[in-house]
Amino acid sequence: MLKIWSMKKEQQKAENADGAGGKKKKVTAAQLRVQKDLSELSLGTTMKTEFPDPDDILNFILEIKPDEGVYHGGRFTFTFNMNQNYPHEPPKVRCQQKIYHPNIDLEGKVCLNILREDWKPVLNLNAVIVGLQFLFLEPNASDPLNQEAADDLRSSRDSFRRNVRTSMAGGSIRGTTYERVVFNNKT
Amino acid sequence: MAAISGGGGGGGTGAASRWHYLDQIRRNPGPFNEDSDVSDEALAAWDKAKVLVIGAGGLGCEILKNLALSGFKDIHVIDMDTIDISNLNRQFLFRKDDVGKFKAEVAAAFVEKRVNGVKITPHNCRIQEFDEDFYMQFQIVVCGLDSIDARRWINATLVNMVDMENQDSLKPLIDGGTEGFKGQTRVIFPTITPCIECQLDLYTPRAAVPLCTLATIPRQPEHCIEWAHIIAWDQEKPFPSLDKDDPEHITWLYQKASARAQEFGIAGVTYSLTQGVVKNIIPAIASTNAIIAASCCNEALKIATNAAPALGFEESYMMYSGDDSIYTSTFRYDKKDDCAVCGNLAKPLAVDPAWTLQELLDSFAVKPDLQLKKPSIRAEGKTLYMQFPPGIEEQTRPNLDKTLKDGLGLEPGFEIAVTDPSFPALTFQFILKFA
Amino acid sequence: MTEIITSQTPPILHGPSEKEKKYDRQLRLWAASGQEALESANILLVNSGAGAVGVETLKNLVLPGIGKFTIVDDAVVNQADLGVNFFLEEDSLGKLRSECCTKLLQELNPEVQGDWFPKSVGTLDLPDVLTTSPRYTLIVYTNPIREEDLATIEAYASQHKVPVVSIHSAGFYSYFRTSLPGTFPIVDTHPEVEKTTDLRLLSPWPELVDFAQEMTKDIDALDDHEHGHIPYVVILLYCLEQWRQSHNGANPTNTKDKREFGKFVLAKSRTNNPEGGEENFQEAAAAINKNIKLPELETGLEEVFNYQLSDEFELQSTFWVIARAVKDFYLKHGCLPLPGALPDMKAQSSVYVKLQNIYKAKARRDVHEVLEIARANTGGKDVDLAEVELFCKNARFVKLINAKAPEQQLNQIYDTEKANDAAAEAMKEETSGAFSLPMSNFFIYLALAATSHNATAPADAIITTISSKIPNAIGDKRMLQVAQEVARAGGGELHNISALTGGMVAQEIIKIITKQYVPIDNTCIFDGISSRCQVLRL
Repeated sequence: MLKIWSMKKEQQKAENADGAGGKKKKVTAAQLRVQKDLSELSLGTTMKTEFPDPDDILNFILEIKPDEGVYHGGRFTFTFNMNQNYPHEPPKVRCQQKIYHPNIDLEGKVCLNILREDWKPVLNLNAVIVGLQFLFLEPNASDPLNQEAADDLRSSRDSFRRNVRTSMAGGSIRGTTYERVVFNNKT
Repeated sequence: MAAISGGGGGGGTGAASRWHYLDQIRRNPGPFNEDSDVSDEALAAWDKAKVLVIGAGGLGCEILKNLALSGFKDIHVIDMDTIDISNLNRQFLFRKDDVGKFKAEVAAAFVEKRVNGVKITPHNCRIQEFDEDFYMQFQIVVCGLDSIDARRWINATLVNMVDMENQDSLKPLIDGGTEGFKGQTRVIFPTITPCIECQLDLYTPRAAVPLCTLATIPRQPEHCIEWAHIIAWDQEKPFPSLDKDDPEHITWLYQKASARAQEFGIAGVTYSLTQGVVKNIIPAIASTNAIIAASCCNEALKIATNAAPALGFEESYMMYSGDDSIYTSTFRYDKKDDCAVCGNLAKPLAVDPAWTLQELLDSFAVKPDLQLKKPSIRAEGKTLYMQFPPGIEEQTRPNLDKTLKDGLGLEPGFEIAVTDPSFPALTFQFILKFA
Repeated sequence: MTEIITSQTPPILHGPSEKEKKYDRQLRLWAASGQEALESANILLVNSGAGAVGVETLKNLVLPGIGKFTIVDDAVVNQADLGVNFFLEEDSLGKLRSECCTKLLQELNPEVQGDWFPKSVGTLDLPDVLTTSPRYTLIVYTNPIREEDLATIEAYASQHKVPVVSIHSAGFYSYFRTSLPGTFPIVDTHPEVEKTTDLRLLSPWPELVDFAQEMTKDIDALDDHEHGHIPYVVILLYCLEQWRQSHNGANPTNTKDKREFGKFVLAKSRTNNPEGGEENFQEAAAAINKNIKLPELETGLEEVFNYQLSDEFELQSTFWVIARAVKDFYLKHGCLPLPGALPDMKAQSSVYVKLQNIYKAKARRDVHEVLEIARANTGGKDVDLAEVELFCKNARFVKLINAKAPEQQLNQIYDTEKANDAAAEAMKEETSGAFSLPMSNFFIYLALAATSHNATAPADAIITTISSKIPNAIGDKRMLQVAQEVARAGGGELHNISALTGGMVAQEIIKIITKQYVPIDNTCIFDGISSRCQVLRL
């Protein structure tokens, strides 16, 4: 066992480092990484974040207000939850409103490849946010979570657009009532 | 012909000859260990060594037996789990009557009873429930875990505990893992040799199937099971929360998955497959656990005694594969400079406890080796000041006028992490020292 | 208020039995068929010396549930036993080691039977035990062993065609050696799943061709959704057809053509979508390398096809009848029976299931053809459909163990291993330590084997014994060091090394009994100092 310690001392000398003693309280790897991700976030004018507890940066809410596309005029919020395995596991993201969207189901689950099968530790929160923005601009009918919305989009873009407007205003489509997400934009 | 005594050479009757075979090795230097110490003092020191075993499952049961029969006298074992019937094909310290009891407790009592003179202290809890003071009492840590999370936690804890002013703070970590006929053993000298975090890319993440495939175009029985697990459960919430060990819950998922499979003409959904997919079951057998646990304990014995060179400094990783003949690969793994745990160790930083946070941030701007213009700064569980995004900037701005110690509650030994958009690739970590 | 409680939860359907629950984690490896084989096994351990390694081996066989074990051991438990053997306790002192170990091992699994010999101290008669007991499935013995006991075991094994495993564990070293009765073929070798895909893209059968053509005949008219869900098998068949038309009928089989073909496939992907491409076409391009290749026999199967049957025992086995039928099939069609599995790929559910059924149907037809050939051949009239199915599914990876008698003498092997070590040393020096190959463990085998009947021999006696067969061993530095390390143990076992070796031996015995996975051929040597195994045929 003594040999190990002498190896350590040699290493310390070679690195010319100054040891730190005493009891430590270390920032976890996940927190470090989220801190870094947050400071690199580019939110633009359509998004903002809200931290229910600013000391807990592993949980926050992202608000998106698309300024173009069929979801223009809506306000959507997503919960972001990173666990201690971040970035080895993707963030868990859920839409808080019941919305009519081919790639978001009625429970708020989001079908975005980088949130599941294509997540890699080199990706960051910015990549996820860009992905979410993209879903509002280009809803994808090809492999949906909400089959009805996808069928509508595939058969007629116009009726899909009408349904989106109805749902965003809090109306019903085929018996499902959606949450009102339009906001009064006075500008 | 030479006569062979039935019980080997150690035919003595006194209790002193109990360790006859082990003493051959620990009292006689061998040809490969130049720095062996076979003195009585060295043996006495070993008798006092305290070893921590993490996990009392397939590997843990074996590890406890092996350490006790390697002459270790003071062993602690941590495991939060209770015994399940599916453990009995390999966790040989447990019987059918033990199902439902704590693993650590039953395992410790069994080995203590069987091997005279060994003391085994069980802890029926999670490793995260203990702090550094607890871990500081051990000389060696041996892990037999099935979870990557727990491995990463103990790894980070042991790396973090290394203190240049205290040579007992460096605890060799020996880690074993198995899957089917395969397994691996590795030895880590925290902060000196590559740590578990440096080697995370050796784990292949479980391949995930796109959510939309599950929702609309299932093709495999696993897709139907995952659909039941992730989507149907969420929609119907048949029970308040999913207990993967509750047969009723698994049955619900199995029936949902079967119905879906039938709808799409997919064959192969079974109860066993449902359980396997939902619980992410990894096949496990007694013999592989025996191999890997013994390999871990062999390294522990070599580290504790210098009876022979141990894994660690050169080769540190032994991979075993028994499904196609037997193949071992024992290799060296390099330490990662940018490892999130051991790559960027925090440097000490002397501060005045009466400084305000603003004063601390200002000092970063003028420190020649930092020159940070827009630093964001956090401590464990505490966001001190974030420049970005705007919401959190506003929430943390009042902290700027607070003093480090009384205002913000920072203490010496707390780590702070500093990021700055001008250095996107870097995080600066410091351990606070009060000047 | 009245509450009416009704049971809302459905009953457990097809839930596992108690036994399936207990063995769940191993059934996922060797399935019910492997378990059945284990449960009919009757294993004999002839134990001696320090005695831990044999008992550790049995532990790893009792837990997964072998049918029965017997321990033959005439030792009386002493203090040193308690320091190395976990299946003894204070109360065992002075009693028969065979009996004490049997009883404590049996506690591990009430479904396993155990027996021991001798029944009282000093009355062991090994030949009598062997002649009066039911037939053993496999015999394990540990070194050091009395020469007459060894001779008794070998005579029994050769008479009854029983596999024998010998083990030697001393200090940081161990080895074990399996002796199988004749050739040992394995069908269920459990190759890695990725290796087993066989899509037959270069030799599709008519149903597959029709399916692909039907899907692609109007490929440009398909809507984006359909186009984005054509399974990659169909994409590749379609693109291959087009490629051949512009390449004089040749397939892209060399590296350069494959690369070009990859570009050719991707160019057919639609890009008028937000993603700028299609996932199924990307899957198709990624599948080219592994799936577009001419059929080629794996060396293991080639050995089976070329093997000359010599022995009565072999002629009776259905394995060889089926192997001959598969060979006939191969010679007739230029390819093996189709395994029939289809990997997952992007496709609509119904299309995928149809394609899957085309592969399954072809596999079934191939099985029936092989079955007919086999039944028409001599000795094949009772060949079982299930056995042919298993063979056809695994045909590519069938292996033959113990096919030939050892070709080399020990002194030849010594020279080879010595030369390998010298080359490794040179490589290490040339690359300043960046590349290093492991050193041979053969010397460990030699030193241990030299103490087979004399456990406490000193280093010089070990060298003398070795040099009677291998004169070159005298004066060799590594040989001497290894002999010193063996002598250091004084015939004693280290529990860790014996536990580790017992684990490896149990794995091998499980492979031999279940005829699944691939056993060693035939000696495994373990060095607990460098933590390495080496398998050699000795």
